[in-house]
Amino acid sequence: MPITDTTLIARSLKARLFSTVTTVAVVGLGVALMLVLLGMRDAGEKAFSRGKGNMHILVSGAQQDPMVTVLNSVFYSGSPRNYLFITKRDELLANNPLAWAIPTQLGDSYRGLPVMATTPEFFTLFEPADGAPWRFAQGEPFDAPFEIVIGAEAARIRGLEMGDRVSLTHGTPKRGEEAHVHEEFVYEVVGVLEPTATLHDRAVFSDLTSSWILHAHDRRLNESGPDISLTTEADLIDEDRKITGLYARVLTRPGMALSAIYQSAFNTLRQDPTITVAAPDQEISKLFTIVGNIDQIIVALAATVLVVGAITVMLVLYQAMEQRRRQIAVLRVLGCTKPRIFGLVVTESAIIGAAGAGVGILLSVLGARVVADIMYRRLGLVIEPGFEPRIVLGMAVGTIALASVAGIIPAVSAYRTSVIRNLRPAA
Amino acid sequence: MAGSNADTKTPETTHAGALEITDLAFAYPGQREPLLEIASFACGAGEQVLLAGRSGAGKSTLLNLVMGLLDPTRGSVRVAGRDLHRLSGAARDRFRGRHIGVVFQSFHLLHGFTALENVMMPLAFSDIPAKEHEARARALLEELDIPRAGALPENLSIGQQQRVAVARALACEPELVLADEPTASLDPENGIIAMDLVQRVCRQHGAALLCVSHDPSLVDRFDRSLNLAELNTASPAAHTQTA
Repeated sequence: MPITDTTLIARSLKARLFSTVTTVAVVGLGVALMLVLLGMRDAGEKAFSRGKGNMHILVSGAQQDPMVTVLNSVFYSGSPRNYLFITKRDELLANNPLAWAIPTQLGDSYRGLPVMATTPEFFTLFEPADGAPWRFAQGEPFDAPFEIVIGAEAARIRGLEMGDRVSLTHGTPKRGEEAHVHEEFVYEVVGVLEPTATLHDRAVFSDLTSSWILHAHDRRLNESGPDISLTTEADLIDEDRKITGLYARVLTRPGMALSAIYQSAFNTLRQDPTITVAAPDQEISKLFTIVGNIDQIIVALAATVLVVGAITVMLVLYQAMEQRRRQIAVLRVLGCTKPRIFGLVVTESAIIGAAGAGVGILLSVLGARVVADIMYRRLGLVIEPGFEPRIVLGMAVGTIALASVAGIIPAVSAYRTSVIRNLRPAA
Repeated sequence: MAGSNADTKTPETTHAGALEITDLAFAYPGQREPLLEIASFACGAGEQVLLAGRSGAGKSTLLNLVMGLLDPTRGSVRVAGRDLHRLSGAARDRFRGRHIGVVFQSFHLLHGFTALENVMMPLAFSDIPAKEHEARARALLEELDIPRAGALPENLSIGQQQRVAVARALACEPELVLADEPTASLDPENGIIAMDLVQRVCRQHGAALLCVSHDPSLVDRFDRSLNLAELNTASPAAHTQTA
């Protein structure tokens, strides 16, 4: 095999393998960070948007922050502070162009998982991802008190199956707190849902009436002491029939995502001081505007890592040139031209950049999978990181270009190596 | 000047002397008096010339001028019929690699490259077809009795390292071989062996040899021996400035 420029570069990289590997790793880390952040940014927003499904408007108790109510009611982050009475739903349906308004009540839990009390319409009218209705892996929606339906992930992590009988906890006990489990009321699992790639997968859905009964029982205990009979639907009074939210959809033509009357309906609803009205789409966008600012800082940090990587390439190569001056001088005597020496060093730098980009792309794919897995397991957020080929290619080309630029200073140093001075015999 | 024929052997250059120096003067920047002034010096094709001289006399400077690493203040240095200093930087580098072989005092073998690769290195920068490189290098190593072509220089004996250096100098079949103090780092016995080798191989390959040394024992081995002091008409004061 003849000696080529590739041979010369490969031997140079091999001669200082440790610094080559370290430099490639630093560049790769910068590339991976950038790609993961860029890939996850859109995926994160998509993941959040998915949970609100085909709902247009979220209604909740008065005087609450709309974003907080969306986080509470769609993403199960905490419980809404204020409540409404179920009669409000009928009033809103009667006076506004709403296709449906499904009552929800949050606040209870099952072994750390959120419980959403609702009506069977939740499974027939509401679609967790727009255009993709609920599908049952087993069973069907509840149609009687004390029946529950389990989200796919909730079933998996708590090992629940059809026919299992469980008791729910009042509220969500914080770490160290004793759970107030309503053992007197037993629920039966009547359905297990297919995964929807939303946070609903981690929830337990119970019949709304049974939730009212459960809370009415607490009321009756407070009022009459421990010797009361087990509460039934007959014991419910109007004040027991509370809800924490309404998933509502404005009337639309079949097949249309939104209608012209949406905005006027939204504005009319907002004038009602007894409720908080939120447009989940807008609130998610607002959330991502805030997140976006932090995101920009992180992207800037990743870019800094990348630039630091390029500087490392420059320093490593410059140091290598200092150590290889005699070798460069010998190559010049043997016929290697100055421009060729310059080209060899810049190419070596570009190769480090290319290797770093390759390592970075691999790391980013693995990293994104790990992050997506953690997000799903911890939060139930299904993030599908999208690596647009355009971005990946741009990143690779950019990294190689940056590394090539970083190689210019060492290359100039090599170009200017004095043959005479460096071939003098050692004293 | 730089041209495509700069590193090829044209009929014009084949019959020329290996080295012709005419009206040469050289002074380092800032020096008023030249360090070297040589009216005329020639080394014929295949001729072996010893250039002796005390330390600081300008022997290495003369070699650097002949290699085209320094530019003369005046005059010309023609190697294989080409005025080296009229070639541009890159063309001069290519010409040097192709037409001048150099045996360094301390060999300067490239670490990280095998003996075979060291010998192939000047071929890589030449216009000699790539498919011939390995065969040429292997033939030279065999001729110089280096059985371990794949060994790294640090794993070879001093004598073997010198033989690899000589093979490398002759890889491109140059018209001129420059040997810079080839015996300086060797004991007398090995010095003789080394000189025998360099001279024999140059003779076999038809290359002229210009050997620079301050070792007086080498005088009788060459076709011609000169003292640089006899050639150099520059003022001795200039030598002391650089010595």
